[in-house]
Amino acid sequence: MAGTQNIPKKVLLAEDDPDDIGFFFHYLGDRSDLHLLPPVENGEEVVEYLQKAHNGAFPDLIILDQNMPKCNGLQTLAIIKNNAQFENIPVFVYSTYTDAYLVKQSLQLGARSVLEKPVSVEGYHKMIDNILELI
Amino acid sequence: MDRNIKLKDDLLRELEETRRQLYEAKETIEAIRTGQVDALVVQKGSTHQLYTLKTADHTYRIFIEKMTEGALTLSQQGIILYANSSFGNMIGMPLSSIIGLPFEQFISKDNLAFYKTLFKTSWAGDCKGEVEIFYNGNRTPVQLSLTVLELDEGIALSIIITDLTLQKNTQRKLEENNRQLEHLNHTLENSNHDLQQFASVASHDLQEPLRKIQMFSNILKNKASGNLSNEEIAYLEKIIASTERMKALIIDILNYSRLSAVDGEYLPTDLNFVLKELVEDFELMIADKKGKIIFHDLPVLEVNRGQIRQVFQNLISNSLKFSKDSVPPVIEISAKLLSEKSIVSGEDENGDYCLLTIEDNGIGFDEKYATTVFSLFQRLHPKDSFEGTGIGLAITKKIIEKHHGLIQVKSTPGIGTKFMIVLPLKQQ
Repeated sequence: MAGTQNIPKKVLLAEDDPDDIGFFFHYLGDRSDLHLLPPVENGEEVVEYLQKAHNGAFPDLIILDQNMPKCNGLQTLAIIKNNAQFENIPVFVYSTYTDAYLVKQSLQLGARSVLEKPVSVEGYHKMIDNILELI
Repeated sequence: MDRNIKLKDDLLRELEETRRQLYEAKETIEAIRTGQVDALVVQKGSTHQLYTLKTADHTYRIFIEKMTEGALTLSQQGIILYANSSFGNMIGMPLSSIIGLPFEQFISKDNLAFYKTLFKTSWAGDCKGEVEIFYNGNRTPVQLSLTVLELDEGIALSIIITDLTLQKNTQRKLEENNRQLEHLNHTLENSNHDLQQFASVASHDLQEPLRKIQMFSNILKNKASGNLSNEEIAYLEKIIASTERMKALIIDILNYSRLSAVDGEYLPTDLNFVLKELVEDFELMIADKKGKIIFHDLPVLEVNRGQIRQVFQNLISNSLKFSKDSVPPVIEISAKLLSEKSIVSGEDENGDYCLLTIEDNGIGFDEKYATTVFSLFQRLHPKDSFEGTGIGLAITKKIIEKHHGLIQVKSTPGIGTKFMIVLPLKQQ
């Protein structure tokens, strides 16, 4: 038990906003319990990444920004959950604004949780703590 | 062969009998026409019926003269043999000048071909058609009803002429109004849609840069605070506080615009439970101000629970916010049934409406603001003295209106504020 907890969780972030990528890596890059994979910019790249990953090399969790070009968060979520190979990877959707529609749709499609993008350092740590508790 | 002879004899006898009856009838008619007889007794079943000139011809003559429709009799050549006074009035000509003229003279050129067909077909059976009467520069839309009459002098055509001017005008007006209404509806739908779209897009898209301002201000504050003076730190904090306020505004305006988009579900809801939950939510604030919320015997109303909860939440939070510093806030919520949808309606235990009163002992406001407080972004106090976006009461009013209800407020500065809400017990 203690052993698995010490292995840092591989986190794949799908985010197109350079500032938001910056915040994420800046605040969470130091955490020893996380292994941040190179970020991808949209849903298509998430699927590409997963297809290239060899069995067992899947991320431990995926965080999808809802508002992405080409393939948004919900669309990407649907692709992942409809693929027998990837469907068990825990997926989280995060967005600047989470309304009832986004929450409902995300949960229906199989997201673990829907999160609002934090506005402070503490917010980022709190968000990732919540995520780690849910996987 | 035998049977055929008998049949022929029977037929001949029948023919003879019919001929005799016909002769008799002709004789009678002739007698009536020449004035020898003015009444006939006809056996009808077991009773006798009296037919006189007065009850038949004369009555009909009066009837035809008095009716508002024009009535004409035309010869087979289309010449006017008889016209009633309504027709005379219709074209503004004395009857004496009308008799003897061809009727087609009064039909507008555009309709002449159609009238001629109508005239031709009418001899084979009743028919109707709409034409325009044109005379002395006046056009009158009419309906013609043509029927063949078998008179002693031969056959003739009777035409009843119904003036359609009023009907056509009404119809035209109705069509015009309908067109306008449709246009307005369309415009309204479009602008409603645009508004929803605007509120949604603006609110979502406004939040992204806003969050960036929040983030970078926070970073700056954390990283640079050692090098900044107290004044400079205060500026940064003002930026952060402003972004938080703007976020609250955006979310409120988004909620407000959503209210018109979504039609909620109306379910029977016990307001006592709603209030109980709210009192728990406000527990800290109430304890902090040593306040009290009193309610009892609230009704069960058919409402959208979430929205009605929002109404009470807004009103209670206002009352707590605008309480007097020196006096603990007391908020009293009561209800009674009304006979009709009006704030001043009399109480009626079996009424279909409910008056909810939410009364506080707060700072109150000048009565002249009683209607403006419900407007969007209306605030009576400077931003730094009381928190709030100025959308709460606008949302409250919109919710009540969506529930087909009424809301009014009475307030006295220094005494308190009283909100009155009328809601139907059931939504149609």
